[in-house]
Amino acid sequence: VSVAAPALAGRERLWLFALAAAIGAISLWPLARLVYEAVAPRGGGFDLSIAERALSAPATWRAAWRTFETSVAGTAISMLLGIGFALAVALTDIRAKAALVFVFVLPLVVPSQIAALAWMNMAGPQSALMGAFGLAPPPGSPNPMLGREGIAWLLGLEHAPLVFLAVRAGLRALPREAIEAARGCGANRAIVARTIVLPLMAPAILAGALLAFVSSVGNFGTPALLGIPAGYNTLVTLIYQRLAGFGTSVLAQAATLSAVIGAFALIVLWLHARARAATDARLSAGAPPEPWRMGQARLPLEIFLWGGLILISVVPFVALFAQALVPAIGVTLSFETLTWRGFSGAFAQDAVARAFGNSFLLAGIASSICVAVALPLAYFVAWRRSALVRAIDTLVELPYALPGIVLAIATILVFIRPLPILGVSIYGTLWIIGLAYVARFLVLALRPIGAAFAQLDPALDEAAAAAGAGFGRRLRDVALPMVAPAAGAGAILVFLTALNELTVSALLWSSGSETLGVIVFSLQEGGDSPLAAAVSILAIAVVVMLMLALTLLAKRLPKGTLPWAG
Amino acid sequence: MIRRLVAALALLATLPAAAQQAPSGRLVLYTSQPQADAQATIDAFRRVHPNVEVTFTRDGTTQLMNRLQAEFVANAPQPDVLLIADAMTMETLKRDNRLQPYAGARVEGLPAGSHDAEKTYFATKLITTGIVYNRAAPMKPESWADLLKPEARGQVIMPSPLFSGAAAIHMGAISRQQGLGWAWFEGLKANGAQAARGNPAVLEAVAGGQKLYGVIVDFMAIRARERGSPVEFVFPREGATFVTEPVAILRTARNAPAARAFVDFVLSAGGQALAAQQGMLPALASVTPPQGFPNLANVRLMPAPVAELLGTDERDKERFADLFGR
Repeated sequence: VSVAAPALAGRERLWLFALAAAIGAISLWPLARLVYEAVAPRGGGFDLSIAERALSAPATWRAAWRTFETSVAGTAISMLLGIGFALAVALTDIRAKAALVFVFVLPLVVPSQIAALAWMNMAGPQSALMGAFGLAPPPGSPNPMLGREGIAWLLGLEHAPLVFLAVRAGLRALPREAIEAARGCGANRAIVARTIVLPLMAPAILAGALLAFVSSVGNFGTPALLGIPAGYNTLVTLIYQRLAGFGTSVLAQAATLSAVIGAFALIVLWLHARARAATDARLSAGAPPEPWRMGQARLPLEIFLWGGLILISVVPFVALFAQALVPAIGVTLSFETLTWRGFSGAFAQDAVARAFGNSFLLAGIASSICVAVALPLAYFVAWRRSALVRAIDTLVELPYALPGIVLAIATILVFIRPLPILGVSIYGTLWIIGLAYVARFLVLALRPIGAAFAQLDPALDEAAAAAGAGFGRRLRDVALPMVAPAAGAGAILVFLTALNELTVSALLWSSGSETLGVIVFSLQEGGDSPLAAAVSILAIAVVVMLMLALTLLAKRLPKGTLPWAG
Repeated sequence: MIRRLVAALALLATLPAAAQQAPSGRLVLYTSQPQADAQATIDAFRRVHPNVEVTFTRDGTTQLMNRLQAEFVANAPQPDVLLIADAMTMETLKRDNRLQPYAGARVEGLPAGSHDAEKTYFATKLITTGIVYNRAAPMKPESWADLLKPEARGQVIMPSPLFSGAAAIHMGAISRQQGLGWAWFEGLKANGAQAARGNPAVLEAVAGGQKLYGVIVDFMAIRARERGSPVEFVFPREGATFVTEPVAILRTARNAPAARAFVDFVLSAGGQALAAQQGMLPALASVTPPQGFPNLANVRLMPAPVAELLGTDERDKERFADLFGR
């Protein structure tokens, strides 16, 4: 029996204000500061001249167009793959769906710079794997992955799971009555799919597509590896290159450009929220439709799906592994050339060993802090909703949903100066990256914990309160044991996302605070691709193991916590 | 009384130590060495001076200078010490009064002319620029002019002087060379040559087979060949251009003692041996050159008119960018 949210006790109010202040300081303040920098640069008064110059430069417009064309093409590819796969998984009776889905959503946890590296090493003339079979393009031919088409294709692959998840959620709520009625009237499956399923899915498809689009616009790893060597800049890589080349003196210009990207992303995200609301409203959540028996066609369909998935999700990483096993670039893999130098050499380099240490430390700290903050926050979000709580709930979405470069530049702007009162500067240290990670990934911990709270009966908490237990005590002794699996899942989600993060750390790192993402990128840029491949393989191995661990935990989690399970 | 005496004696005892106190604190280095080499240099330096914390920024020389110039404008130059590709860049900084002389630098054994007469910068190596080709290439180039042949159409890649200091010197030397000049660059453009960001990108392209011919610094190509990459390095007939990877201390250095210790280290026998071990020709003649290098007596070098280039560098870079886009 749920009662209306009671007035907050004094101690609880204190907690809430402390949470609001902390989240405001690491999320709202930097984003507001970014907008302020764009219109009043360098602490001066209102001055649009820098913004005007940044926005009227031909390079900006060229990059904007390239961002647009690769994102549109990428989204189209995501839709094709995501919708097709969702229909096959949700509507038919093919076997081993869980395994298929696991492989299909792998791109969600494989960082895009590593995926780009894998595809380059598979498709180019340097391919150690294809070379071993004599299948590599002949020397003297360009790498097909570099430039516009490669970027679009990879953006499409990476974001196909987003479309898939949106459409599958919609398909699960498909009213079986409509389908059965149509079948009863003699419509065959093709007609049902065209006239009933797809139209009903339109809002879900739109929501998935918009999400894929906004993720493509903000993507850094893919255009950084496939675009920068070809001189093909998107807006995000343009900002990165300016900042990397000219240092903080171009911060005002970078702030303008990223504020524009951020504003654009906000509009798309708003449309996405509306499309999602429409998905929820139009469909009933009754019994899902019977899976369609594929009969004779089942095996060929399964072979087609597995074959396609292996080709796009497994072979590139085998190629990456092969690249890590050759002594130098351009060497074809064979028993004579095979060497573990890439792997042993990786750890012989201080910077690489340090990057592993830094990334594990950052991911560990970010996930502990995120869970520690999300736990009391989820309590308020689920059981004590007020205007302030709703505002915080929306605010924690922003740093994650907006392109990473927006948060990175916002964080630089705020923390380039020494902290007030303490007088120390965290700019150029590991801690600025940690702070940005907490802001960016908090929502990943909040959502599963919030869902777990929503399933609990608040009566337990009220009983404890009536018995005189304080807020902290109730959180620890009543709520925590019950939401522990969700908190664990949230911690792992934050951990595996932060471990390979590149966009934010690429702008915030300095020597000594390099991260795994940064080190892969700079090894590749420095011409040591076997080493870059070896580090990537190790990083992926950790991530996939964590993902498997999460899957084992899935049964004890609220439904929908893990996009790939259940 | 006795206590005071003891205190005075103790003070006396520490004096000589204080005079040559080991350098410590933070040292900021801007360098154009490849990531792994820069790291190895710093590690070796820290074995000698464990109390110095070194942080470094690595990028192409021209890129680093863009960054440094911006820092000068903002009145906040970050680095204490520079280890960058070429003497011309150092001359530019010296002209602008950005460098600090180090009269005590040990230059014995270094070739004459390899360091600034006023001791503001010191050559640490000899790095030549020549031609790298993939062994699958149909033509074995022997001269710069060979890159203009039809066999090389669309297959040549070179580092852009807008990123690399060695490439800037290369451009300066070639463009003033009889028989080559700007016509050579225009010929390359007509033959479909491309400019890459820096030397590592050239190696990646040629060793990986995306291009067959490249313009590149010697050690990257030779080191890759030694490791098994299918490439060969050629010192072109007309002469290889070269840079000296000089080291210098900024006038605004915040940790001058550590900066001087760094200069001492890279010029020392140990620092020079490390350079050789990294596959680079050391400046110190007494140190054995690395494997894979020919006898330098047989290599023709093409010097760059540094004094002349000082005034034209900006215009040259623009001209290059007009031709190749970057």
